[in-house]
Amino acid sequence: MICGRARTMAVLCVALVLVASHVHAQTAGDAARAEFRDDVHAAAGLTCPACHTDGGYAARPRTAIAPLCATCHSDAAFMRRFDPQVRVDQFLQYQTSTHGRRMASGETRVATCTDCHGAHGVRRVRDPRSPVAPLNVAATCGRCHADASRMRAFGREPAPPHDWSASVHAAALLKRGDTSAPTCVACHGSHGATPPGVTSVANVCAQCHLREAELFRASPKKDIFDAIGQAECLVCHGNHRIEAPGDAWVGVEAGAVCEQCHDGTGDSGTIIRRMRTQLDELSGAASAADAVLTRAEHAGMLVDDGRLALRDAREQQVQSRVLVHAFAAEPFSTAATRGLTSVRSARDAGEAALRELQVRRRGLAVATLLILAFLVTLGMKIRRLPPSA
Amino acid sequence: MPRLRPWLEERLPLSDLIQTLRRKTVPHHRYSLWYYFGGTTLFLFGIQVGTGALLLLYYRPSAAEAYESVQFIVTRVPFGWLVRSIHAWAANLMVASAFAHLFSVLFLHAYRRPRELTWVSGVILLLLTLAFGFTGYLLPWNEVSFFATRVGTDIAATVPLIGHGLVRFMRGGNDVTGATLTRLFGFHVAILPALATALVALHLLLVQRHGMSVPPSVERRAAENGQTIRAIPFLPHFLLRDLFAWTAVLALLAGLSTFYPWELGAKADPFAAAPAGIRPEWYFLWAFETLKHVPATIAGVSGELIAVGAMGLGALAALGLPFLARDTPRARRVVLWAGLGALGFMGAMTGLALAGGMP
Repeated sequence: MICGRARTMAVLCVALVLVASHVHAQTAGDAARAEFRDDVHAAAGLTCPACHTDGGYAARPRTAIAPLCATCHSDAAFMRRFDPQVRVDQFLQYQTSTHGRRMASGETRVATCTDCHGAHGVRRVRDPRSPVAPLNVAATCGRCHADASRMRAFGREPAPPHDWSASVHAAALLKRGDTSAPTCVACHGSHGATPPGVTSVANVCAQCHLREAELFRASPKKDIFDAIGQAECLVCHGNHRIEAPGDAWVGVEAGAVCEQCHDGTGDSGTIIRRMRTQLDELSGAASAADAVLTRAEHAGMLVDDGRLALRDAREQQVQSRVLVHAFAAEPFSTAATRGLTSVRSARDAGEAALRELQVRRRGLAVATLLILAFLVTLGMKIRRLPPSA
Repeated sequence: MPRLRPWLEERLPLSDLIQTLRRKTVPHHRYSLWYYFGGTTLFLFGIQVGTGALLLLYYRPSAAEAYESVQFIVTRVPFGWLVRSIHAWAANLMVASAFAHLFSVLFLHAYRRPRELTWVSGVILLLLTLAFGFTGYLLPWNEVSFFATRVGTDIAATVPLIGHGLVRFMRGGNDVTGATLTRLFGFHVAILPALATALVALHLLLVQRHGMSVPPSVERRAAENGQTIRAIPFLPHFLLRDLFAWTAVLALLAGLSTFYPWELGAKADPFAAAPAGIRPEWYFLWAFETLKHVPATIAGVSGELIAVGAMGLGALAALGLPFLARDTPRARRVVLWAGLGALGFMGAMTGLALAGGMP
């Protein structure tokens, strides 16, 4: 009796497990099918068996995912049918990346294709809903790289995504919507993601900051940094948390960037101090000229010449800041002097407008007095007229 | 000098003219102040002609050069800023003075027989003044004037049958372009001044012919008291008072032009999006605001069409007022309340538009 009841219970349990697993499979399958409806592959006419080649729908081993994707994405002849200009080197790049190399060594916790692109809802990179679209890619990388427990296993800090979020690059991308601003993949690569080395980091920055890189390479600093193994741009600007540079960075006092290496003695100290003086002078004079021009404009004067000169001064100011990367008194000093000359022109134009305004007001005061005198005379004349008829 | 007068007397009827003006009288009563708005409007028209002629020496009416030429006038030409500012401020004061003149004539019932044509010519002169304002607004070719002209000319499209043709005629094409600027410039400096000068001459001739109207209430009170209505000689009494008003307006113009010079703004960019808060000059604001509040359709008819139609009918009613309103106390009361209603509506709509534009 007891044996029969136990058998019944066992059958019921097995049935429940089977039903539950069937329901789960149905739910997961439905979700996958729903996601796939909006998938770039579905739009290209591919169906489930294109990836599920063995007819089964169980999850594939993580090490097999990238090779599976590569069967199509590394086949130029096949991919050309969908996009004649599509790249087919993703798998090759992946194999050179830190992710790819670790995956090949059997470490399955590192990223593979589906971790970034998704499995059944893959979208084009230019689709803003894609996890690897410019505005989303940092968050996608951050899912792993900002996770302290996950990074601890690899001996890495989880700081880079947070640091990048506080950078000028993040502000340009996320606040101003400038999709040309660099995010993780711009410096590390996407499929071939790997940290740039000391010697290549300047090349990475030079993708955008070409002028600064050229000046640096032609400067005496280049050989010194190479000799002591310093990573060029990073020494002053940092890497992920790149903040907006300021004139106060140039200097030999505490808090300045140059002070990290220079103690303020010798020729270098003199040049650094002179650069800082000129930068401060230019910045202060430009602000003062702007204030004078604004006062004149608020008083209704047209000071277009002054504004033009101030715009030129601002351009020279930007030039001077760029020319700091030559680490020499010249051509920095020439640009700064040119900027100061333009600032003087702008201020002169503003002051001339304010003087003109005073002349106008004095002229009006005289004219008003004359008009009032005429009005008083007229009023007296009208009062003295004989009475009306 | 002593010989100049006889020389002139021999050739011109100066003494006759002076004697005529001395003999001519103007009624003098509690509402006499309103008589001076006509003279003030004429004075401002004269200033517009003078300053406009000076601006013409440097202004270039093309989309490529208009803005730069105005910029040149206000920054490089000696006293150019003053001339341009006076032209712009005097235009606004002239519209205000013309409206004050029209409503004072309406409320004092000076449109009655035999001054019907004086009224009609006056209403047409007010419409011409508004047309001067509209056509002159685009001439600096700045951002605000460009988009306001686009919005303003669009309204004409609601007129049935001829609307689109009217818009094309005003713009010289489908959109506001350099062709519109050239066209409006032609209207502003040639066609409108010619029409206005002829109408001003007619208006003055009629005023001279019929004299100043005395309000019925003043006539009635004088009759009740058995008194005659006081009058003053045109020369020198009235003319000196007119001169007093003109001088005061001149002082006001000088102050406004010096302390609030008319802004030039940014150059018009036809390919840019319209900036926020675009609206016409203050004297068109009431119509602009009315169109904003009208429903899209009223009983299946375009609301904008109904509003524009109502405004057109209002203008026609104003033009034909002396022929529509009989000279009876009851009709005068109706006219008074209708005028107050129109003024109140225009004031309220302008106030709403100004309040809506505030930050």
